[in-house]
Amino acid sequence: MIFETLISQMPYLAHGLAVAIGLLVCLLSLGLVLGLILATLEVYGHWSLRLACVAFERVFRGIPAIVLLLLFYYGVTDYIEMGSFTAAVLALGLRSAAYQSQIFRGAFLSVPKGQMMAARAMGMNKLLAIRDIVLPQALRMSIGPWTNEFSSELKATSLAYVIGVVELTRQAKYIISNTQGNILIVFGVVALMYFVVNRAGNWALYRLENRLALPGFEHRGDA
Amino acid sequence: MKSILRKLAPAAVMLAMTSWGSAHAQAETLTAGVEAAFPPWAYVEDGKYKGIAIDAMRAIAKDQGLDVEFKDLPWPSLIPALVKGRIDMLVTGLNVTPERAKVLDFTIPWWENDDEILVPKDSDKNLITAMCCGATVGAQGGATQYKWLEDNLASNDKVDMTLRGYEDYVTAIADMLAGRLDAVVTSTDTAEDFIAKGRPIKIAGTIQQNQPQALAVEKGDPKKLLGKINAGIMNIYKSGEWAEIVHRYAPQSTIREIPTTMPAYVDTYQGDIPGYTK
Repeated sequence: MIFETLISQMPYLAHGLAVAIGLLVCLLSLGLVLGLILATLEVYGHWSLRLACVAFERVFRGIPAIVLLLLFYYGVTDYIEMGSFTAAVLALGLRSAAYQSQIFRGAFLSVPKGQMMAARAMGMNKLLAIRDIVLPQALRMSIGPWTNEFSSELKATSLAYVIGVVELTRQAKYIISNTQGNILIVFGVVALMYFVVNRAGNWALYRLENRLALPGFEHRGDA
Repeated sequence: MKSILRKLAPAAVMLAMTSWGSAHAQAETLTAGVEAAFPPWAYVEDGKYKGIAIDAMRAIAKDQGLDVEFKDLPWPSLIPALVKGRIDMLVTGLNVTPERAKVLDFTIPWWENDDEILVPKDSDKNLITAMCCGATVGAQGGATQYKWLEDNLASNDKVDMTLRGYEDYVTAIADMLAGRLDAVVTSTDTAEDFIAKGRPIKIAGTIQQNQPQALAVEKGDPKKLLGKINAGIMNIYKSGEWAEIVHRYAPQSTIREIPTTMPAYVDTYQGDIPGYTK
């Protein structure tokens, strides 16, 4: 009987998954843009900017995701009117920016110093050298660690139900409360759905990494 | 820079005015907060909101010409959301309590509940042994049952009962069926719903509470909704629509006379009650 229910409720679980993926895409995009800016400023910026970026990154890495969600939904919405989804994108996206800034910072620093010196010696200004020389190499190298960020943020979307975003986990709760039970089986199916999306995303990212790799240039183990 | 600002200022003012205007126009649609994992009062099936509270709210809205949309929030978020004005009213199986009366305004009560002591079907515990002498009992954290058990039994050393809180009753029941709890205490209609849906549990005893339930709006009723909702409740009750809705979801329930008992600690039940006595 629960299997019939699961099959008949599958469109709603799928819709919940679509909401989760939508939330994931929005928050990762926000985190990517902001994270890159933060990393650039942390590595190359004036000390005052660097300090501000470090402060932002420490704050958003130091607060649990669920607390950030509640703070944004109940606090920030006092000043700026926004819905549950926007509040979730901001809370999780800013947190992701803090994490991503550290991925990109590491990648920037892993580009040998000589590259920057050579670019400057050829007459490029600092901005141009970052954009055309350091950034393409750094981005390529951040794909590996970035798969981590993708995975953990996908799972973090499952917290957004606390501020009223009806995503996959909440849809699962609907089925559980309708049937007043079946916790194990419903969450088993939901776990599988998260897992499949996670694997698919990581598979695509690893493919991208391989495709962009320069043979013989970057060493990525002997495999 | 200054000249750019001067040029932009009128545009910004206009933008602000239009957005204020549209926000004002949208204020017609009221948001009713529900916990949509709480049958038979509110739940989601086939992507649609269902339940006694949902259908009754729709009937009240139709009766009073209100435009209501539902917003699902988990139970612990509902009262804070109402206090903060994120939702305009709270529509669910909400018990009337003195603590809650301090932060929100209750409508006239439309339901009354007792609490049921649930044990596994094959348990040999009775209402005494399920609640004392080393028993472990579960309830939903933040629910009136939890507070009652804490105040009356768990805090009394002679009773020797351990109380455990859960996010919802489904997990509490699952934990009991896994053998980690001796009993779970829920309200009557939740207990009946569990049994109707075939969980292997039975009622070992009833705690007579005559616990009234009502809808709630923001404290001080800034949107002047109390009168309309109260009048709507009385109208659907008198027309028989209320009984029809209740029996759609809980066929075994007895319809209480509305309003049910109105506790003296609720200030909106004192003097003239808008929509009911005036």
